[in-house]
Amino acid sequence: MIARLLHHATQWRVRLGTTALRHASNIATAFSQIWANKGRSLLTTLGIIIAVTAIITVVAMVQGFGDYMSKMLRGYGTKQMIVRSWTPQDEDSFGVGRVTLDMGDIRAVAAESPHISRITPFVFTETTVSYGRAKATQIAIRGVSEEYQSIRNYYADVGRFFGPIDVEHSDYVCVLGRTMLKLLETDESVVGDYIQIQDQRFRVVGILQTKGSFMGEDQDQTVMIPYSTALNLNAGQREDLRFLCEASDEKFINDAEGELTRILRQRHNLPPGVANDFQVQRQDQMLKQFDKIRMAVTALLAGIVSISLVVGGIGIMNVMFVSVTERTKEIGLRKSVGARRRDILSQFLTEAVVLSTTGGGIGIGLGYAFTYLASLHPKMVDISVPMWSVALAAGFSLGAGMFFGILPAFKAAILHPIDALRHE
Amino acid sequence: MNIDNRKKLIELRNLRKIYRVGTELVHALRGVTLSIHENEFVAIMGPSGSGKSTLMNILGCLDVPTEGDYLLAGEDVAKLSQSGLARIRGRQIGFVFQNFELLPRMTALKNVQLPLMYSQLPKSRQRAIAALEMVGLADRAKHRPNQLSGGQRQRVAIARALAQQPAIILADEPTGNLDTKTGNEIMAVFDMLHGAGQTIIIVTHEPDIAMRCKRVITLRDGLVSSDTVPSEGLESVESHRIAS
Repeated sequence: MIARLLHHATQWRVRLGTTALRHASNIATAFSQIWANKGRSLLTTLGIIIAVTAIITVVAMVQGFGDYMSKMLRGYGTKQMIVRSWTPQDEDSFGVGRVTLDMGDIRAVAAESPHISRITPFVFTETTVSYGRAKATQIAIRGVSEEYQSIRNYYADVGRFFGPIDVEHSDYVCVLGRTMLKLLETDESVVGDYIQIQDQRFRVVGILQTKGSFMGEDQDQTVMIPYSTALNLNAGQREDLRFLCEASDEKFINDAEGELTRILRQRHNLPPGVANDFQVQRQDQMLKQFDKIRMAVTALLAGIVSISLVVGGIGIMNVMFVSVTERTKEIGLRKSVGARRRDILSQFLTEAVVLSTTGGGIGIGLGYAFTYLASLHPKMVDISVPMWSVALAAGFSLGAGMFFGILPAFKAAILHPIDALRHE
Repeated sequence: MNIDNRKKLIELRNLRKIYRVGTELVHALRGVTLSIHENEFVAIMGPSGSGKSTLMNILGCLDVPTEGDYLLAGEDVAKLSQSGLARIRGRQIGFVFQNFELLPRMTALKNVQLPLMYSQLPKSRQRAIAALEMVGLADRAKHRPNQLSGGQRQRVAIARALAQQPAIILADEPTGNLDTKTGNEIMAVFDMLHGAGQTIIIVTHEPDIAMRCKRVITLRDGLVSSDTVPSEGLESVESHRIAS
């Protein structure tokens, strides 16, 4: 019994060994065939090489930019909401009356919503700022409360941010972003001095830390003043405020939104069934939205690139047909010495797959090289090739070899041995 | 020498092969009946169109008969599938072709190993070297066909045919592309193999080659027209067989 088992095991091992040998031989034949037709093989795989290079590079770029954007969005905090008034678009709510959002609303939310930890009104004005002879036009003035600094991470590193007293007294004080110093042709010594905003004198109390730019917008080109002061300058916004608030924790963001919605609906006397007359924009939803868009863009680009992969695959099919015709006699000989159809099939399939995966390998290498070259640019965001794109590219090139190699290989396999041997 | 004591290797019974060329039917073989025993050294002769190529293709399991039986070592070949035929070609038959048919990019050794790869026999390298030794080319194992002379190439091809230790070596005009001297060398190799117990069938149209075999079967118009032993003049081999 044991002897028989051993015998079987040995036979099996022998068979396994010779099968491995045959596959090794197929791969060796494939490489020598490719090497014998270097120029033709290179031209054939060029399509695959280009397609895979494009996949690797494009995915790395899209993912790199995407990560950068998503990090920025995340940096804003995923527990934040922006609330603004909003005229409902559906007919039922038409003529609800003038839509308002005022300080009363904001104070009510601040007082009654347990899951909202920070809140600030946000009054946006674009106006001219001047200091001595220097003048800067179209500057974004943000009218906010002192809580804005912790919600949006704007901290003063010279002087101080304005405090609750300044807000309460509607003081004419401001903090400046670093870019403003350049625009106003001054330096940090401006702290304590006065600048002109919309013809009013504002005392500079602090300079903000550098934040850099995001999506082409210089975040340091800003002036912040107490919202109460801003409303004095721009009384039209008193009834149409927007506010920024932060939930005490990311996991309470839904509760916080629910609470503020209930409070505002109650204050605005909205009966059930009528749409909100305000809009809540959540940072975490924006992030989700953004991730969706990013996936869509990646998929779209990958789709476009796949077309070139198909073209590359057709090239391989073409050259494999040529190879089968050229080597008809060899096929006949192989059959006459005992090759079965499946042996010939696997030989030519192996050749197509070796061709396409070699192209894929070169493409992956080139993709890495291009990604590295791109990352050398000083203004480039951090990019790296994700492993899944390498796996995808390798899988695709393997698949292309299989798919486009099967027909020529099949043609070779079903050749009649006599006809093949007589072929000249 | 009584050949009937030996095992019957090939038995053809009323073998017919009909080809369709366009709308016409070509009767290549019209009922061939013959037996070949172990360790016979047979020449198959005949003018072109006599059906000798067709017969060789069928004997070599490259083709199947339209009608009739072909028993190879007791196995009915006509009933085999494509892969069954491939197995027979690999294990039972060693082909030698007129123009050698060596794969140019492989060394002599790799060429000889080729059938062993398909039959999955173990120790293919040792077997291939042994086969090259038998034809006296062990020292050329690492050479490629283009580094070998015509005679050497044909010997590599014979080694390839031998590697599997097949029941039959089937040679199709093996000296056709060689000069007389080299042709004689190749025939000497076949003589030696025959002496070692190998069954050999040579298809040829050269009487000189046929005369060196131990039995000559001549085909004409798809039928066996004569079956003789050259050394015994015109005496028919059939008479021996009928006697048994």
